[in-house]
Amino acid sequence: MPDIGELIGRLVGLIGEVLGASSLRLGIGPTLAIAGILLVLLSLVARPTSRWLTRDLGHLTAVSRSMALAAESGAIAAFSLGTAGIVRSVAAAARLQTLAALPILSHVARAAARSGVPIEVTVNDPVAAMLAESTVLEAHRRTETLERASRARTLYVGEGRATAAAHALAGEPRPGAAFVMGGLGEEALILLDGFAAGARSTTFGTASASQATSVLLDGEGTLIGPELYHAPSDLVRSGHDRIAVFAGNRIAWASLAVLVVGSLLVVFGGVDIVTFLVGH
Amino acid sequence: MRRSLPTALVVVVGLLLLLDFVVVNPSLAALAGTLLEYIVLIAAAAAITGALALGLRQVGLLRHGGEARSGPLLVLGGMAVMLIAGFYPGSSGATDPAVRWLVAALLMPLVAALFGLLFFFLLGAAQRGLRLRSRETTVMLLAACAALVLLLPLGGIVGAWLAGASSWALAVPIGGVFRGLLIGIAIATAISAARILLAVDGASDD
Repeated sequence: MPDIGELIGRLVGLIGEVLGASSLRLGIGPTLAIAGILLVLLSLVARPTSRWLTRDLGHLTAVSRSMALAAESGAIAAFSLGTAGIVRSVAAAARLQTLAALPILSHVARAAARSGVPIEVTVNDPVAAMLAESTVLEAHRRTETLERASRARTLYVGEGRATAAAHALAGEPRPGAAFVMGGLGEEALILLDGFAAGARSTTFGTASASQATSVLLDGEGTLIGPELYHAPSDLVRSGHDRIAVFAGNRIAWASLAVLVVGSLLVVFGGVDIVTFLVGH
Repeated sequence: MRRSLPTALVVVVGLLLLLDFVVVNPSLAALAGTLLEYIVLIAAAAAITGALALGLRQVGLLRHGGEARSGPLLVLGGMAVMLIAGFYPGSSGATDPAVRWLVAALLMPLVAALFGLLFFFLLGAAQRGLRLRSRETTVMLLAACAALVLLLPLGGIVGAWLAGASSWALAVPIGGVFRGLLIGIAIATAISAARILLAVDGASDD
């Protein structure tokens, strides 16, 4: 009967065999580089809110005001998740934009729920429709306004980019606030123009580099390129978080200044600042 | 706690696929291949579920929709026509001539007509851009005009100079801006993918 030592020995032997049968696909240098990049990425995502920078990307902090104005005028809020979808046969980078836009939809839906403004989300992908519907329902649940959830709508406008653009042109005019976030293609100008028609405020965003100019021309608040991915991080919980970010920024700049000045003094001034600062 | 199992699953699958990318191992490759097949199956199942949900919703709208019945009728009719064309006995599926005809004779002309409007929408967008932020849009439109002039199909010395200048403009200033944007997007995409992999949600709780 094998004992514990034998079992461990066999396990170690098995791991050794597996390791022996393996080789690095990219060589030691690139593998270490990928591992290093992963470490940097993990440190960046360890804290979901912006650590080093805080801004008002795409005028998203003004969403509550836009919703208040929409509530006064009895208008709706229109939100499009772009035309890339989740399971459509387009590039993965475009589909990832739909996922990146969901936290922004959540933010807008919460503001709409609080203000009593019906939100209408349009998508051209059935799976994205389900995600959008869940996001809006969750927003009503979190704001304890479930009685208003029935006024929110998620519309699947059909497959393809052209159908989304055509629906935007023929859709309900004059929304109180219009948002288009996600992957866009050659239909961008038509889609954005359809959403912007008569809207009191517009916020458009895409990480599709070729459509950056369309967004810049049509939108009041804009999220261009990487900003679409940064924006969810900036939707921070409270003012205290923003103050913490500002304080963190100042500490980072002060540390950098001390490092640069200290290095210059050591190199050119011959001053032993290290002993003064760290005591040894 | 409710999210711990899906999160663990996503992390394990993601790390396995990443490990397969950097390490050559037959067992790992087989495991990664199986996982990828599952991913394709799940995506296909999700698409079919979505289509079924759409059909059921349209049937519901048709039953209780009151006056607005033309939309659901069109959707269900369109779905039925495409399904019949793709599944009738002896049909070759998506490559069947009937399906090809429906796409080429009905869908494509509609799409082409819509995209034919792009020029007019560009003019409208330029006007809107000038109203929203006049300085930036003016610069953008001037740059667009300069690019148009550089691309004029002229001959002779002037034409050769314009062609050289347009190549330089495309490769250096425009190319530089575009490459910068693409690099930024790639980094942000990687960070966003890592966020999804680790189920870190950046949305606020307010």
